[in-house]
Amino acid sequence: MAFDIGAAADRPGRSGHTVTTADCVRLAPRRSPAALRIPAELAVLDQVADFVLRLGHRAGLESNALYRLRLAADELATNIVMHGYRGATGEIAVDGGIDPDQVWVRFEDDAPAFDPREGMRAPALDVPLAEREIGGLGVYLAFTSVDCFAYELVAGRNVSTLVMRRSATR
Amino acid sequence: MAFDVRLRVNERVATIELKGELDAGTAARFHETVDEAAATGAIELVIRAEQLSYLASAGLRALVFARQKMGDDVRIAVVGATEPVARTIKLAGFDHSIDLVDA
Repeated sequence: MAFDIGAAADRPGRSGHTVTTADCVRLAPRRSPAALRIPAELAVLDQVADFVLRLGHRAGLESNALYRLRLAADELATNIVMHGYRGATGEIAVDGGIDPDQVWVRFEDDAPAFDPREGMRAPALDVPLAEREIGGLGVYLAFTSVDCFAYELVAGRNVSTLVMRRSATR
Repeated sequence: MAFDVRLRVNERVATIELKGELDAGTAARFHETVDEAAATGAIELVIRAEQLSYLASAGLRALVFARQKMGDDVRIAVVGATEPVARTIKLAGFDHSIDLVDA
Protein backbone atom coordinates (compact mmCIF):
# COMPACT_ATOMS: atom_id res chain seq x y z
CA MET A 1 0.00 0.00 0.00
CA ALA A 2 1.46 3.35 -0.94
CA PHE A 3 1.39 5.99 1.73
CA ASP A 4 -0.67 8.96 0.63
CA ILE A 5 1.55 11.93 1.16
CA GLY A 6 -1.40 14.18 0.54
CA ALA A 7 -3.25 12.68 3.51
CA ALA A 8 -0.78 13.92 6.08
CA ALA A 9 -2.38 16.80 7.91
CA ASP A 10 -0.66 20.00 8.93
CA ARG A 11 2.12 19.69 6.45
CA PRO A 12 2.84 21.50 3.23
CA GLY A 13 1.74 19.26 0.43
CA ARG A 14 -1.49 18.05 1.95
CA SER A 15 -3.26 19.09 -1.23
CA GLY A 16 -1.20 16.45 -2.99
CA HIS A 17 1.39 18.57 -4.77
CA THR A 18 5.06 17.73 -4.57
CA VAL A 19 6.56 19.34 -1.49
CA THR A 20 9.63 21.35 -2.39
CA THR A 21 12.27 22.97 -0.27
CA ALA A 22 10.57 26.31 -0.74
CA ASP A 23 7.46 24.90 0.95
CA CYS A 24 9.49 23.92 3.99
CA VAL A 25 12.00 26.72 4.37
CA ARG A 26 10.43 30.08 3.81
CA LEU A 27 13.62 31.93 2.98
CA ALA A 28 15.86 29.99 0.66
CA PRO A 29 18.76 29.27 2.96
CA ARG A 30 22.30 30.08 2.03
CA ARG A 31 24.59 27.14 2.21
CA SER A 32 25.36 26.78 5.86
CA PRO A 33 28.94 26.91 7.04
CA ALA A 34 27.92 23.94 9.18
CA ALA A 35 28.23 21.32 6.45
CA LEU A 36 29.33 17.72 6.17
CA ARG A 37 30.44 15.57 3.26
CA ILE A 38 30.60 11.83 3.77
CA PRO A 39 30.95 8.74 1.61
CA ALA A 40 27.64 6.93 1.03
CA GLU A 41 28.37 4.11 3.47
CA LEU A 42 26.35 2.89 6.45
CA ALA A 43 29.48 2.74 8.59
CA VAL A 44 29.89 6.52 8.62
CA LEU A 45 26.28 7.58 9.10
CA ASP A 46 26.90 8.23 12.78
CA GLN A 47 28.56 11.43 11.54
CA VAL A 48 25.14 12.53 10.28
CA ALA A 49 23.67 11.86 13.71
CA ASP A 50 26.44 13.85 15.38
CA PHE A 51 25.88 16.73 12.97
CA VAL A 52 22.12 16.81 13.51
CA LEU A 53 22.38 16.44 17.29
CA ARG A 54 24.85 19.32 17.51
CA LEU A 55 22.63 21.49 15.31
CA GLY A 56 19.53 20.64 17.32
CA HIS A 57 21.27 21.31 20.62
CA ARG A 58 22.37 24.72 19.33
CA ALA A 59 18.79 25.44 18.32
CA GLY A 60 17.50 24.44 21.74
CA LEU A 61 15.19 21.71 20.41
CA GLU A 62 13.53 19.83 23.25
CA SER A 63 14.68 16.25 23.59
CA ASN A 64 11.81 14.48 21.83
CA ALA A 65 11.90 16.87 18.88
CA LEU A 66 15.66 16.43 18.64
CA TYR A 67 15.28 12.64 18.75
CA ARG A 68 12.76 12.75 15.92
CA LEU A 69 14.89 15.05 13.75
CA ARG A 70 17.87 12.74 14.27
CA LEU A 71 15.70 9.70 13.46
CA ALA A 72 14.44 11.31 10.25
CA ALA A 73 17.95 12.31 9.19
CA ASP A 74 19.31 8.85 9.97
CA GLU A 75 16.56 7.10 8.03
CA LEU A 76 16.92 9.45 5.06
CA ALA A 77 20.69 9.00 4.95
CA THR A 78 20.30 5.21 5.22
CA ASN A 79 17.79 5.36 2.38
CA ILE A 80 20.20 7.30 0.16
CA VAL A 81 22.89 4.69 0.76
CA MET A 82 20.66 1.64 0.32
CA HIS A 83 18.18 2.75 -2.32
CA GLY A 84 19.82 5.78 -3.91
CA TYR A 85 23.37 4.65 -4.57
CA ARG A 86 22.48 0.94 -4.15
CA GLY A 87 25.96 -0.03 -3.12
CA ALA A 88 27.75 2.17 -5.66
CA THR A 89 30.35 4.58 -4.40
CA GLY A 90 29.17 8.12 -3.94
CA GLU A 91 28.97 11.05 -1.61
CA ILE A 92 26.32 12.65 0.55
CA ALA A 93 26.48 16.34 1.38
CA VAL A 94 24.63 17.48 4.48
CA ASP A 95 24.08 20.99 5.67
CA GLY A 96 21.72 22.57 8.06
CA GLY A 97 20.62 25.78 9.64
CA ILE A 98 18.67 27.41 12.40
CA ASP A 99 15.94 29.89 11.59
CA PRO A 100 14.00 31.83 14.21
CA ASP A 101 11.19 29.26 14.23
CA GLN A 102 12.68 26.09 12.79
CA VAL A 103 15.70 23.91 12.24
CA TRP A 104 16.41 22.44 8.81
CA VAL A 105 18.74 19.73 7.56
CA ARG A 106 19.37 19.26 3.83
CA PHE A 107 20.81 16.26 2.03
CA GLU A 108 22.24 16.33 -1.48
CA ASP A 109 23.48 13.35 -3.44
CA ASP A 110 24.35 12.36 -7.00
CA ALA A 111 22.57 9.01 -7.04
CA PRO A 112 20.08 8.43 -9.89
CA ALA A 113 17.03 10.69 -9.52
CA PHE A 114 15.15 9.25 -6.61
CA ASP A 115 12.36 10.79 -4.53
CA PRO A 116 12.63 8.88 -1.23
CA ARG A 117 8.98 9.57 -0.47
CA GLU A 118 7.88 7.40 -3.37
CA GLY A 119 9.14 4.33 -1.53
CA MET A 120 7.29 5.23 1.64
CA ARG A 121 4.91 2.62 3.02
CA ALA A 122 2.61 3.01 6.00
CA PRO A 123 2.56 -0.05 8.26
CA ALA A 124 0.04 -2.68 7.16
CA LEU A 125 -1.58 -3.05 10.55
CA ASP A 126 -4.02 -5.68 9.30
CA VAL A 127 -1.19 -8.02 8.30
CA PRO A 128 0.48 -10.18 10.97
CA LEU A 129 3.90 -8.80 11.85
CA ALA A 130 5.75 -11.89 10.65
CA GLU A 131 4.18 -11.53 7.19
CA ARG A 132 4.64 -7.82 6.71
CA GLU A 133 6.66 -6.28 3.97
CA ILE A 134 8.67 -3.72 5.83
CA GLY A 135 10.34 -1.93 2.95
CA GLY A 136 9.58 1.76 3.13
CA LEU A 137 9.24 1.78 6.89
CA GLY A 138 12.32 3.93 7.42
CA VAL A 139 11.08 6.67 5.13
CA TYR A 140 7.66 6.44 6.74
CA LEU A 141 9.27 7.01 10.15
CA ALA A 142 11.23 9.93 8.73
CA PHE A 143 8.18 11.53 7.13
CA THR A 144 6.06 11.21 10.26
CA SER A 145 8.80 12.45 12.58
CA VAL A 146 9.38 15.93 11.17
CA ASP A 147 7.22 18.91 10.32
CA CYS A 148 8.26 18.97 6.68
CA PHE A 149 10.01 16.54 4.36
CA ALA A 150 10.73 18.02 0.93
CA TYR A 151 12.39 16.64 -2.16
CA GLU A 152 13.56 18.29 -5.35
CA LEU A 153 15.76 17.28 -8.25
CA VAL A 154 18.10 20.25 -8.70
CA ALA A 155 20.53 20.26 -11.63
CA GLY A 156 20.51 16.48 -11.58
CA ARG A 157 21.14 16.22 -7.84
CA ASN A 158 18.70 14.77 -5.33
CA VAL A 159 17.96 17.36 -2.66
CA SER A 160 15.90 16.39 0.38
CA THR A 161 15.14 18.77 3.21
CA LEU A 162 13.87 17.98 6.70
CA VAL A 163 12.40 20.68 8.92
CA MET A 164 11.52 20.64 12.59
CA ARG A 165 9.77 23.56 14.19
CA ARG A 166 11.63 24.80 17.24
CA SER A 167 8.45 24.94 19.24
CA ALA A 168 7.54 21.36 18.29
CA THR A 169 6.11 19.54 21.27
CA ARG A 170 4.39 16.58 19.60
CA MET B 1 28.28 5.20 18.72
CA ALA B 2 28.27 2.55 21.39
CA PHE B 3 25.98 -0.42 21.21
CA ASP B 4 25.95 -3.57 23.28
CA VAL B 5 23.70 -6.62 23.22
CA ARG B 6 23.70 -9.53 25.68
CA LEU B 7 21.67 -12.72 25.75
CA ARG B 8 20.86 -14.91 28.70
CA VAL B 9 18.44 -17.81 28.89
CA ASN B 10 16.79 -19.00 32.07
CA GLU B 11 14.06 -21.65 32.24
CA ARG B 12 13.31 -21.22 28.53
CA VAL B 13 12.92 -17.47 28.82
CA ALA B 14 15.44 -15.70 26.62
CA THR B 15 16.38 -12.21 27.71
CA ILE B 16 18.21 -9.83 25.40
CA GLU B 17 19.57 -6.71 27.00
CA LEU B 18 20.17 -3.77 24.67
CA LYS B 19 22.36 -0.77 25.43
CA GLY B 20 23.12 2.24 23.30
CA GLU B 21 22.03 2.94 19.75
CA LEU B 22 20.36 0.37 17.50
CA ASP B 23 20.60 1.56 13.91
CA ALA B 24 21.63 0.35 10.47
CA GLY B 25 25.23 0.07 11.62
CA THR B 26 24.51 -2.07 14.70
CA ALA B 27 21.32 -3.97 13.83
CA ALA B 28 23.24 -6.98 12.49
CA ARG B 29 24.47 -7.79 16.01
CA PHE B 30 20.94 -7.65 17.39
CA HIS B 31 19.76 -9.80 14.49
CA GLU B 32 22.42 -12.43 15.25
CA THR B 33 21.46 -12.44 18.92
CA VAL B 34 17.78 -12.94 18.07
CA ASP B 35 18.87 -15.89 15.96
CA GLU B 36 20.77 -17.33 18.93
CA ALA B 37 17.77 -16.80 21.21
CA ALA B 38 15.47 -18.59 18.77
CA ALA B 39 17.89 -21.51 18.57
CA THR B 40 17.55 -22.10 22.33
CA GLY B 41 13.91 -23.08 21.91
CA ALA B 42 12.79 -20.32 24.23
CA ILE B 43 9.09 -19.98 24.88
CA GLU B 44 9.37 -16.28 25.67
CA LEU B 45 11.66 -13.49 24.49
CA VAL B 46 12.16 -10.51 26.77
CA ILE B 47 14.00 -7.53 25.33
CA ARG B 48 15.27 -5.21 28.04
CA ALA B 49 15.31 -1.75 26.52
CA GLU B 50 15.83 0.49 29.54
CA GLN B 51 19.27 1.49 28.27
CA LEU B 52 18.41 1.54 24.58
CA SER B 53 18.87 5.21 23.76
CA TYR B 54 17.97 5.08 20.06
CA LEU B 55 16.01 2.81 17.73
CA ALA B 56 15.95 3.11 13.93
CA SER B 57 13.97 1.09 11.39
CA ALA B 58 16.88 -1.34 11.02
CA GLY B 59 16.23 -2.37 14.63
CA LEU B 60 12.54 -2.75 13.90
CA ARG B 61 13.41 -5.17 11.10
CA ALA B 62 15.20 -7.33 13.66
CA LEU B 63 11.99 -7.38 15.71
CA VAL B 64 10.10 -8.61 12.65
CA PHE B 65 12.78 -11.26 12.23
CA ALA B 66 12.29 -12.25 15.88
CA ARG B 67 8.57 -12.71 15.31
CA GLN B 68 9.22 -14.73 12.15
CA LYS B 69 11.93 -16.87 13.69
CA MET B 70 10.28 -17.61 17.03
CA GLY B 71 6.78 -18.23 15.79
CA ASP B 72 3.42 -16.89 16.86
CA ASP B 73 3.27 -18.87 20.11
CA VAL B 74 6.30 -17.19 21.62
CA ARG B 75 5.55 -14.06 23.59
CA ILE B 76 7.88 -11.21 22.72
CA ALA B 77 8.04 -8.31 25.16
CA VAL B 78 10.01 -5.08 25.04
CA VAL B 79 10.49 -3.89 28.60
CA GLY B 80 11.28 -0.39 29.81
CA ALA B 81 11.56 1.38 26.47
CA THR B 82 12.06 5.14 26.70
CA GLU B 83 9.27 7.34 25.37
CA PRO B 84 10.79 8.01 21.92
CA VAL B 85 11.77 4.36 21.45
CA ALA B 86 8.26 3.23 22.42
CA ARG B 87 6.82 5.86 20.07
CA THR B 88 8.80 4.43 17.17
CA ILE B 89 7.59 0.90 17.92
CA LYS B 90 4.00 2.09 18.11
CA LEU B 91 4.29 4.25 14.99
CA ALA B 92 5.43 1.18 13.08
CA GLY B 93 2.41 -0.71 14.42
CA PHE B 94 4.54 -3.37 16.09
CA ASP B 95 2.77 -3.04 19.43
CA HIS B 96 -0.06 -5.20 18.04
CA SER B 97 2.27 -8.17 18.01
CA ILE B 98 4.94 -7.31 20.56
CA ASP B 99 4.10 -6.39 24.15
CA LEU B 100 5.39 -3.05 25.34
CA VAL B 101 5.89 -3.34 29.09
CA ASP B 102 6.72 -0.44 31.41
CA ALA B 103 7.22 1.81 28.42
